[in-house]
Amino acid sequence: MNDEGGAGPAQERSAIDPSIWRGLTQRRMSRRTMLASAGAGGLAAFLAACGVQGTSPGGGAAASGVGTASWWARQKLNKKVNFANWPYYIDVLNGKHPTLEHFTQTTGIQVSYTEPINANLPFYAKIRPSLQAKQYTGFDIIVMTNNSPPLGYLINFGWLTPLDQSMMKNFYTYAGPLVKNPSWDRGNKYTMAWQSGWTAIGYNSSVIKNPGSSIGILFDKKYAGKVGMMSDPQELGSAGLLAIGVDPATSTESEWAKAAKKLQQQKSDGIVRAYYDQSYINHLKNGDTLVSQVWSGDIFQADLNSKYRDLKLLIPDEGAMSWTDNMCIPMNAQNPKDAMMLMDYYYDPQSQAVVEYYGNYVCPVPAARQVLLNPAGWAKTTLKEMASSIGLPPSVTADAPTVFPTEQYIKSSRPYYQYKSQEELTAWNNLFLPITQGA
Amino acid sequence: MEQPVLAHHPGRVGSGRRPQVRLGKALAPYLLSLPAGLWLLVLFLVPLIVMLSLSLQTCNFGTGACVMTWHWAEFGQQLSLYRGQFLTSVYFAGAATLIDLVVSFPIAYWIAFYGGRKKNFFLLMLLVPFFVSFVIRTVVWQFILSDQGVVLGTLKNAHLLPQSFHVLATGYAVVAGLAYNYLPFTALPLYVAIERIDRRVLDAAYDLYATKRQAFTKVILPLTVPGLFAAFLLTFIPALGDYVNQTVLGGTSNTMIGTVIQNSFLVNLDYAGGSALSAVLLAISLLGIFAYSRLLGARAIEEYL
Repeated sequence: MNDEGGAGPAQERSAIDPSIWRGLTQRRMSRRTMLASAGAGGLAAFLAACGVQGTSPGGGAAASGVGTASWWARQKLNKKVNFANWPYYIDVLNGKHPTLEHFTQTTGIQVSYTEPINANLPFYAKIRPSLQAKQYTGFDIIVMTNNSPPLGYLINFGWLTPLDQSMMKNFYTYAGPLVKNPSWDRGNKYTMAWQSGWTAIGYNSSVIKNPGSSIGILFDKKYAGKVGMMSDPQELGSAGLLAIGVDPATSTESEWAKAAKKLQQQKSDGIVRAYYDQSYINHLKNGDTLVSQVWSGDIFQADLNSKYRDLKLLIPDEGAMSWTDNMCIPMNAQNPKDAMMLMDYYYDPQSQAVVEYYGNYVCPVPAARQVLLNPAGWAKTTLKEMASSIGLPPSVTADAPTVFPTEQYIKSSRPYYQYKSQEELTAWNNLFLPITQGA
Repeated sequence: MEQPVLAHHPGRVGSGRRPQVRLGKALAPYLLSLPAGLWLLVLFLVPLIVMLSLSLQTCNFGTGACVMTWHWAEFGQQLSLYRGQFLTSVYFAGAATLIDLVVSFPIAYWIAFYGGRKKNFFLLMLLVPFFVSFVIRTVVWQFILSDQGVVLGTLKNAHLLPQSFHVLATGYAVVAGLAYNYLPFTALPLYVAIERIDRRVLDAAYDLYATKRQAFTKVILPLTVPGLFAAFLLTFIPALGDYVNQTVLGGTSNTMIGTVIQNSFLVNLDYAGGSALSAVLLAISLLGIFAYSRLLGARAIEEYL
């Protein structure tokens, strides 16, 4: 961030009208809830798994020369692109998406924008048969989260089209440090970030006056029986790794075991009240828990209500896990060049400013802040039109540290471990899942 | 079930004049049972076989490849890993069922014997809370019973309970939740069983100088045994596989097998393990139904379903 001087530090958040945080986590909540309750989704994944017999992955990029410079040179613009995203994740005005309209106006490329992704795993199970059969999935752009196995599978099986680096001009000019050359995709070979968020610590400041600045607060016997942890093994394991001073992204299996031991101890000491799904936020609000693992946006949303303004976010010294949803092009996409155009378009600060003004997620383009503060060009009229339905000026979004993170937030961000195989995922889950499933 | 009456009109036996009609009539019962048969085949037998076969396969979620490896050891591994959770489930579901039987017997008895013309109204009253979604009802208990909530918060402020007292995140909360959620499954079969007792049998008991207590223990109770057992099965089996109550009301050391199975499929992507656990759970349930049909006859089941 080059213009951090003007932004209010995180601690001054309360001075900002809290309604800025509206909508911050809606998508994430809906996705968690869906995942938790979607027996149907699980069933779909389950049946899909049964339906496909022992086909080995293949038809990947390396084998076919897909994604090389000469391959890209042969691709043509088809003036259409199919974009699959998560629900409630893009700017909306009067039932339309201003950025997509503007993109079509300026490039002539028609965008078919759909929101079929409610959870990573079921969606992956849905497109996998097409990828295995070397067919078009029906989507030129899909959005996958970095902390869920499918993104790793897609990369490792060669099921993503390597991006045309020469068509990423906006990206290389404007992408922020959190999303450029990320650990889950070195050199942005396959992905460009869509939006991000954090998993950090939330605490009740009316009881905990001096929370300190360490993740150790989750392991403090002072709060025995009042600590909420997440039941998601990836979130739980990552917290354990941070607590033993290990960077999750580069951790090893022996370190996982140490982290599991630490978490097991935390449980047997009676510190953990329960392992929660999205419902953790209700328990934190009720006072059932005093300190908990949280998704950053939930705390800000809770702060909307004066009743819960005591809930504070703590980004510990050891770091906070940051997740990012990534745009990528599946293999055999019919309109890869159009897809590249659209993906890079979202790294134009003007389009990103419009997306953020509506969405309030962590912005991958720091320069969008200037657009929000001093709107210019096409974004100016669009932001103005949107203002009445949003009810707050764009400058409020610009000053939110959760949209445009402070240096401290960026430094504290830790990426998740990227599983390289099914065996690794199983090994991880066999360590951390039993902790949440005590009999 | 009676044997279906086939088209054997005496006058036509062996006449063979209109064989097509006879064929059609002979087929009728089979055609009529076809939808039910298909339903069983497609929605019960096929998934059951897929599940059993999957429990012996080795799967890779990434590629979606499942190879049949006849991995019988899966059952042993899963059972040794999750024996505790199975026991917890049996224990919790059993406790909840027992509570339900004790609570709903007087209710069912009262409605059946003293409900008069308002029987249906009372039954409706019993069921009204259950028109609300299962999960929502459970989550509402979470709010009611929260540490600083309406009940506990008030009692704590009055110094009637220590500050550290809590109900949520304990096994008691899970059992209570199960008992609450499955109450109608116990109450209704019991009601049916008690309702159908012929009052003249009771009159006969009194004529033979039975006391009220004797009439209850020697006449009413034995006559409701099939209902009691049906109520037990209808409550115990779904409660055994329940994962909502444990997830919403439970804590760190009272996981039920339903939660483990759910996590196997949706979090751990371990289809083989999840299938093996499901198969074991199913076997336990089938044992219960088998015991029922042996003890009380299959026909007794039909009366309550």
